[in-house]
Amino acid sequence: MNSRKISVQTRDLTKRFGRFTAVNRVSLQVYEGEIFGFLGANGAGKTTLIRMLTGLLKPSEGEGFVAGYDIWRQAEAIKRHIGYMSQRFSLYEDLTAEENLTFYGGIYGLNRRDIENRKRELFAHVGLQPFANQMTRDLPLGFKQRLALACALLHDPPIVFLDEPTSGVDPRARRNFWNLIYQTAQLGKTVFVTTHFMDEAEYCHRVGIMHMGKIIALGAPGRLKQKYRKSTMQDVFIELHRLSEEQA
Amino acid sequence: MQPIWYLIKKEFKQVFRTREMLSIIFIAPMIQMLVLGFAISTEVKNVSLIIADFDRSRISREILQAFEHTDRFRVVGYETSYRGIETAIHRWHAQMAIIIPADFGRNLQRGLQPEVQVIVDGLDGNTAGVALGYASGIFQRFGEVWLQQRAVARAAAASPPGHRVVVEDRLWYNLDLKPEQYMIPGIVVVLVTIISMMLSAMSLVREKEIGTLEQLIVTPLKRYQLVLGKILPFLILTFIELGIVLMAAQLIFGIRIAGSYTLLAGLAFLYLFATLGLGILISTITHTQQQAMFVSWFFIVFMILMSGFFVPIENMPGVLQKVTYINPMRYFMYIMREIFQKGSSLQFLLKDWLPMTAFGLVIFTFSVLKFQKRLT
Ligand SMILES: Nc1ncnc2c1ncn2[C@@H]1O[C@H](COP(=O)(O)OP(=O)(O)O)[C@@H](O)[C@H]1O
Ligand SMILES: [Mg+2]
Repeated sequence: MNSRKISVQTRDLTKRFGRFTAVNRVSLQVYEGEIFGFLGANGAGKTTLIRMLTGLLKPSEGEGFVAGYDIWRQAEAIKRHIGYMSQRFSLYEDLTAEENLTFYGGIYGLNRRDIENRKRELFAHVGLQPFANQMTRDLPLGFKQRLALACALLHDPPIVFLDEPTSGVDPRARRNFWNLIYQTAQLGKTVFVTTHFMDEAEYCHRVGIMHMGKIIALGAPGRLKQKYRKSTMQDVFIELHRLSEEQA
Repeated sequence: MQPIWYLIKKEFKQVFRTREMLSIIFIAPMIQMLVLGFAISTEVKNVSLIIADFDRSRISREILQAFEHTDRFRVVGYETSYRGIETAIHRWHAQMAIIIPADFGRNLQRGLQPEVQVIVDGLDGNTAGVALGYASGIFQRFGEVWLQQRAVARAAAASPPGHRVVVEDRLWYNLDLKPEQYMIPGIVVVLVTIISMMLSAMSLVREKEIGTLEQLIVTPLKRYQLVLGKILPFLILTFIELGIVLMAAQLIFGIRIAGSYTLLAGLAFLYLFATLGLGILISTITHTQQQAMFVSWFFIVFMILMSGFFVPIENMPGVLQKVTYINPMRYFMYIMREIFQKGSSLQFLLKDWLPMTAFGLVIFTFSVLKFQKRLT
């Protein structure tokens, strides 16, 4: 495993908002082609960590490298190599699905032919062809999230950050979306995905579990279940939660 | 360049798909112009006037006749003391008083420059300003005519035979003193300011509010591209707006611009650095469209009050007069009126467009620097 190339690496990465520490000395490594799940309850600090890695927020302390670039000094270079799907749907509701992709294609500097090609490929990839000309606001949430994924993959980045891509949709749509995540990883991309659904941890190659800004467990789901002698990740999480309460 | 083009196309698509936006841009300005234009222009008539003639010469009587013969003024009394004038204005018998000092006529004939005193009740600043405008128009016309007569008489007496008398041809602006001529350019300035500043601020904040800015920030889009792509659509829209209201000014109020359209457009462009810059600035200090609108209104109201739109700057207290110098709208208001009424040249307006542009560039640069491509 350690011979593989590293996509994302942090060392003691910390973010404070005033006196409140949202992300507390997080150290982790994510390998190329891996589906890395980042788990934690609401408010654990997942979004804040992703925002530091994607250049949306300046860290308070610590180190971070994404695709080999330093998050302190090379945030703009990082942006060319990542796709990002915000936890809150953030495409234009008053453009059609297709117009959204065309727009972002233009923003990423793709030429007109590439934009057309990528749109066709990605609509097929996420299964949105029938809805291409629908106004985005009229799409069901599950489809909006697929559109957001297509948008994050538009410029063919080696790493994608997906922040709670499955929150708010029904279990079937969640399953479908996880299939898409698998297909995306099969294209050789690193997928860094956060969720607060513990069952989704089972789908990841490796997971980091976050609690109040700190990483309290890190590893493959199988190993974690073995270590804490539980049969599901849900139980592992409850156990971890209990242990950290005891410590406090 | 390409990303900017895509940003502009997107913005126009959104504007033309949003009914509220369309009405803010195209319908509201027409209504504002009609309401303000007609309300203000019909308001100032029959200004009650009180007269104190301490001179009682042929000349002073001629002047006073000019005031008696216009329906702009209604002479409500003649006074013989300053005390009487004071009381009349205090008791609201008169809005304006004209005092012609003793020996006025004689001094004028001796080639001195005697002064006439005009007192206006400044409580209603708009009426006061317009009335003062009428009055100085009458004096000016009287003065011109009188000077010309004298020049002709002198030339005839003094110049050797064969020399032609050259009487300078002067540009007479706002000859019949139509107040619309004065107000409409002002309204155009106000509308241009609202569109460029408020809409650009709201459009930028909207991206923040609905979260799309976050998505834009994680793209390799450069800051200058983002700013230009968001600002240029509103620059273009402002010019479209300017064209529409100028056309309306002609068609509805019959007002023609004395000066050049190119000059007007060029100086408007320089003015927009200030308003678009303020739009960006407002977007950096607010989080919702509602806040942006509120803060924009605050700025706009302050700028209008300090621009001489309602209350002429000469009528303001000294301190406030100084404050107007930091108001870019003050300069553009003056420029617009000058170009509309007198067809003034770029060179003549230098002392106004130079500080206006300087302010614009400072505000614009500061705002762009303050506009960070990060979440705060
Ligand atoms: N801009 C901010 N200012 C202050 N506190 C913040 C800010 N952003 C997030 N937080 C706080 O940081 C903590 C972690 O938030 P977040 O990273 O969004 O958690 P998660 O994504 O795991 O739900 C929360 O308690 C949240 O209130
Ligand atoms: Mg979150």
